[in-house]
Amino acid sequence: MAPRLTAVLDWLQERLGTREQFTRFLDRRLPVGTTWWHTLGSAALFLILLQTVTGFFLAFYYVPSPEHAYDSLTYIQNEIPFGRFVRGLHYWGASFVVVVVFLHLLRVFVMGAYKYPREMSWIVGVAIFLVVMLFGFTGYLLPWDQKAYWATVVGTHIAGTAPVIGEYLWRILQGGVEVGARTLGRFYAAHVLILPAILYGLILVHLSMVIYQGIAPTPRGPLARIRKEDYTRLYEESKGRGETFFEHLLRDAVVAFVLVAALVLVSATATVPMEEVADPTDTQYVPRPEWYFFFLFELLWRFPGEWIPVATFWIPLAAVLLLFLLPFYDRTTGRHPLRRPVASGAGAGALALIAVLTYQGATAPLPPREGAAMPQEATALPPALAKGAAVYEAQGCSACHVLKGTGTAAGPDLTRVGARRDEPWLKRFIKNPSAVQPRSAMPPYGDLAEDELDALGKYLASLR
Amino acid sequence: MASTTTADPHDPAATQSLTPARRRFVSVVLGAIGAAIAAIVGVPLAAFFALPALRRAERRWLEVGSIAEFAEGQIAKVLAKPLAAQVWPYETRQVALYVLNQGGGKFALYHIHCTHVGCPVRWNAPAGRFFSPCHGGVFDRDGRVVAGPPPRPLDRYEYKVDKGVLYAGRVYRVNEKLEFAGWHHA
Repeated sequence: MAPRLTAVLDWLQERLGTREQFTRFLDRRLPVGTTWWHTLGSAALFLILLQTVTGFFLAFYYVPSPEHAYDSLTYIQNEIPFGRFVRGLHYWGASFVVVVVFLHLLRVFVMGAYKYPREMSWIVGVAIFLVVMLFGFTGYLLPWDQKAYWATVVGTHIAGTAPVIGEYLWRILQGGVEVGARTLGRFYAAHVLILPAILYGLILVHLSMVIYQGIAPTPRGPLARIRKEDYTRLYEESKGRGETFFEHLLRDAVVAFVLVAALVLVSATATVPMEEVADPTDTQYVPRPEWYFFFLFELLWRFPGEWIPVATFWIPLAAVLLLFLLPFYDRTTGRHPLRRPVASGAGAGALALIAVLTYQGATAPLPPREGAAMPQEATALPPALAKGAAVYEAQGCSACHVLKGTGTAAGPDLTRVGARRDEPWLKRFIKNPSAVQPRSAMPPYGDLAEDELDALGKYLASLR
Repeated sequence: MASTTTADPHDPAATQSLTPARRRFVSVVLGAIGAAIAAIVGVPLAAFFALPALRRAERRWLEVGSIAEFAEGQIAKVLAKPLAAQVWPYETRQVALYVLNQGGGKFALYHIHCTHVGCPVRWNAPAGRFFSPCHGGVFDRDGRVVAGPPPRPLDRYEYKVDKGVLYAGRVYRVNEKLEFAGWHHA
């Protein structure tokens, strides 16, 4: 080492004891069997740091007001060198963070790493996960395009369905009676000041705990079970044979590099979606959430009317509490997933449910745009059927039915309805659905003219 | 090393003045000072944050248009503008609403947000119904729920007619019988 550098290090050592601190941090031993799976935490931290840095730079040009937000982002994207790329890093990076933080949570769950003596690390980790979701929710509004605006109208509306405090929560979030300038100001302040302060505070605690307790061992060998009596002895033994954190950093670095490479590739090739500037008066817009809120969008289908708070409040609340309290109700000593079938089964079930709902949300058909041609070209139909197709479109049937992939799936898919029902049945049903099927949710169309009903019945019966 | 004349901070004897009673006293005073600081700074900050959001009757009257423009029995989408000049934050620079002329000088003015989770409802004239694009909510021309998950009919604006001009005011909720059921965000 250069003598001058050594002198500087010596100077620091005398005043701060840096050498011991570094040694204690870097040369601490890890238990046997620390794997690539154990890089997910550091990968999450790395991505969060990257979001912070790209966020700093976006803040140089971004203006948080309804008059300027959209234009400032257009400016970032179109005028500033690397603007598209830097925004891409932040935009796609957000999804990377959500995925990696979730995988980290999953890894800790599968390996039973939340058990004694790391219960607090788990609780703080769940809090970090929730803060990350809040980052997604608040950051989403900032571009002030249609998608951003309507997602926030829906998001704040959903907060408003909470029992008792809903109304206050709604207005506090909006900063007023509508989503507007004050909403944007609030979300901006939360996104760039308050949430980062909370996040880094939590991360500091989370990391201190990992350093204090040491990383949880892989659930193999004697440490596949955790008993308070012999845990410390077994863990120290395992550490005696393990590698150092400094060596493990190699894995962390490789993962960080791969993530950056992937993120750069995506940011350089994919365009960040940007819709028209927010228009609160548009009644043709079809709001859809970001992919990590699809499960909630789909859940809303299952709980209509007075049951809405079950989807918007009680199920999310129960899920969050179940997550937080996991170390306290899963008190088995086994750490291997097969040794705690109840926890593993429940976790796998919840995961499958979220996956199914997310898939359904991702593949849900969209209602047709006003004036757009029907999926089945009306002109290609014989006149007798064309009239029915026109009635189908004019009556807004696609608001509740899917036909060849277009429409909203509130009611049955009608793509092949003719194969299931004949014309007389269809006509009777349309006129008064609950007279034919008492449990039908479809509103009666008794006000439909006789010739229109005939045409619609013929048309639907022809769909096979 | 330990000298009897110089105070050593690491000397356990130096902490002997901290009796349990004294520890309690210091803790209570520290807590009180901390709480006072938190209150002095926190109360104004909390008010600063929350009160603008909870302020009542912020909406001014919006000019919807001449009543002659609204044919009886028809529903029209209107972009209404506030009467008074707007100051920041221009929350209501332009507001979209649906107007139904019920005849006999009566009107129904609907908020465009679905009462389920707030998606913008579309008026479909041939069908005579409002449709939400999100979860299949359907409302009839009177704003009643005819299908889907919305928990209540479309929210409405209070209105007044002055010299043949229709004005929209605050937003309120109605029950299944379309009776007043409370101000929206009040």
